[in-house]
Amino acid sequence: MSCHLPKKPKNKEGKYKDTLNIALAGNPNVGKSVIFNQLTGLSQTIGNWPGKTVERMEGYLDFLGYHFNIVDLPGIYSLSTYSLEEIVSREYIVSDEVDLIINVIDASNLERNLFFTFQLLELKVPMILAINQMDILRKRKIELDFEELERIFKLPVLPVVAVHGIGVHQLLEKAIEIVEAWTPLKKEFEFPELSSILSFGKEVETKIQDLTPEINKNQDYFSDFHYPSRFLAIKLLEDDDEIIKIFESDEKARTNIEIAKNYRKELEDYHGEDINTIISSEIYNNILKIIEKVVHIKSKEKVKKVSLADKIDHLTTHSFWGYVILAFIVFGIYAFTFTVGDLLGGLLEGIYGDLSVIIYERYGEDNIWVKILWNGGVGGFFGAVGGVLVYVIPFFLIIEILQDSGYLPRAAFLMDRIMHVMGVHGKTIIPMILGFGCNVPACAGCRIMETEREKKISVVLSSLVPCAAVMTVVMGLVGRYLGLFWVLFLFAINFSVILLVGRVLNKTMPGVCTELIMEMHEYRVPNYSVITKQTWLRSKEFIYKALPLIIVLGITLEILLELRALDPINIVLSPITVFWLGLPIVTGVFLIYGILRKELTLVLLAILASSMGLTLIELMTPIQMIVFCLVTMLYIPCFATVVIIAKQTNWKYALQISFMEITVALLIGGLIHFGYIFFTTL
Amino acid sequence: MIRSMHKKSHGHKRRGTPLIKCLTECDKEVDVRVLNVDTGFKSKRRLANLGVVPGTTIQKRKEAPFRGPIEIYVKGAQLVIGRGLASKILVECNEACSY
Repeated sequence: MSCHLPKKPKNKEGKYKDTLNIALAGNPNVGKSVIFNQLTGLSQTIGNWPGKTVERMEGYLDFLGYHFNIVDLPGIYSLSTYSLEEIVSREYIVSDEVDLIINVIDASNLERNLFFTFQLLELKVPMILAINQMDILRKRKIELDFEELERIFKLPVLPVVAVHGIGVHQLLEKAIEIVEAWTPLKKEFEFPELSSILSFGKEVETKIQDLTPEINKNQDYFSDFHYPSRFLAIKLLEDDDEIIKIFESDEKARTNIEIAKNYRKELEDYHGEDINTIISSEIYNNILKIIEKVVHIKSKEKVKKVSLADKIDHLTTHSFWGYVILAFIVFGIYAFTFTVGDLLGGLLEGIYGDLSVIIYERYGEDNIWVKILWNGGVGGFFGAVGGVLVYVIPFFLIIEILQDSGYLPRAAFLMDRIMHVMGVHGKTIIPMILGFGCNVPACAGCRIMETEREKKISVVLSSLVPCAAVMTVVMGLVGRYLGLFWVLFLFAINFSVILLVGRVLNKTMPGVCTELIMEMHEYRVPNYSVITKQTWLRSKEFIYKALPLIIVLGITLEILLELRALDPINIVLSPITVFWLGLPIVTGVFLIYGILRKELTLVLLAILASSMGLTLIELMTPIQMIVFCLVTMLYIPCFATVVIIAKQTNWKYALQISFMEITVALLIGGLIHFGYIFFTTL
Repeated sequence: MIRSMHKKSHGHKRRGTPLIKCLTECDKEVDVRVLNVDTGFKSKRRLANLGVVPGTTIQKRKEAPFRGPIEIYVKGAQLVIGRGLASKILVECNEACSY
């Protein structure tokens, strides 16, 4: 078994500081992030687990002479292979990187939460149980016997009310207490023997205890993997894919798989159920016994009042109003993002304009360095911040509010049926809603899908959702000059394409969509500090990745313009742009630039028009505007999105999607163009 | 519990017989007992981990329109289950259920 002694690196001042690596583990929505937030504050970073598409939240804290590294694991219900998050979590917990787990438990939902606790116990890593939301229990006049809990689990059990900051730092104090009790007396943490209330029924327990020593025989081989033998025994009995893979790669270990298979058959015949049902049932039986011992209901009144949260819940899942509210919310995302963005963007534009006047007077407008560095570089910077960031930040904010309040599962509930038509289930609506703001976090959000197949389909559908940038083009061109009707026409085509693409992918991709199984937790008031920190973290990510790119592109555009390198490109593209789509020849390069940032297609068009002294309606005919907007909406995800898709799946798939979308866009664009010619010459 | 139902005469509803229905058919806001979960392996394991195993008492809370998912109350939590899965969960209603 691995040693969980705290490590002793030197810190900046050259002093030795003891480091403690802690992982927060628990079900979703138990308040882990609130606790994590309180402990780590601004030191948080979001990253990915190496090589995986699972998010990794970590932060640190210096407290009472120790340096705490804290990782907030994803909220999960079990340690099986249901999702990548479960696999990543269990591998991490038993690795050398974790000294101690804090299992965060929702007091108002002990039964289900303790199931995960049982799973964690099998990993035999030092653990503290943090029972959160004690305030709710108090309100319901329910008492918990903490001493009894400690007696049963033989672990520290502490009450916490995370939203009020109560009990949070005591968790770290307790962690220090445990760690300091190890050394110097013991070199290794000895995990206490499980009390009988935690073990399985006789038949299952016997099989596990027979299998464990067999696995122990190959201890050397498995020391690489750190899993306790008993855990491995249970997983083999459960037919766990990943564990079986590990065992299959070693000859000696392979026999254990056979033994486990036979034991499994015996158990299933005996109990008349499959192994997962047997094991889960026995665990839940144990949990009921524990609850009988530790939960004391002080008042006999049955709480049957319908709370505000319940009323909102009924409204948002109502057969009619639910959908109305959903439409409102999606519209609200746009409205909020645009209002705030336009406001701030306008301010920045003003600043840039004023500064430009000064620069031009000083150096002259046609100075080549002015063009490249000021227009391209600084202009690119202002464009990135004023044109993109001011929209991105309010967007992330409103999405975090929606997420934290608990609304998004309701949307999945309402849309599941329609999503099935497209080969995915209700959860896909969540990244798609995000797609209305920006496709980049939308495609990243597709990691919540359980299988590769669903992830692949979701990613395509999300990238086809018209993002705010696309909306800018549509509203600025068709909306402004042709009216709302044609905007809705374009949207109708866009959504029809999404439905169609989904249907086709559903039929052509092997496999079947998994069914929706999702928890809907109660509505709650979003936590201010969690929202602001998450918004800031995600915006920061965006800034570091997107901003430099945009500035560099701004500079190259200016250089190309100077060198008049754009004309040849336009000529090369003219068979497509002029002949097939019926657009002005200049749009060729603009559409290429649109691959970088979709609103550039309109921005560049506007610049051209003003440099020619024309308004946009003089530059393009109505039908050209429609085709232009349609192609912008559909043709290829913006470059940042393609990169994210590649990260979520692979580059081959990302390029395939890009190619498919270009084809679809050109096809429909051409159809409209020629259809129009055909009908007007009749 | 009125289990001795055979005494009732013809023409009356037979009360007390446990009714077996799929989750999609039973009434809302009524406690029902899970009898069998006949889904695929992965879903079955997931549902088992979440407490939906034979013998557990659950309650159907909501149904989405257009034959959409079903929301149930199990082990103190609200769970949304796709309709396909729900139709494969057999439950036992008591007399409170309608015929």
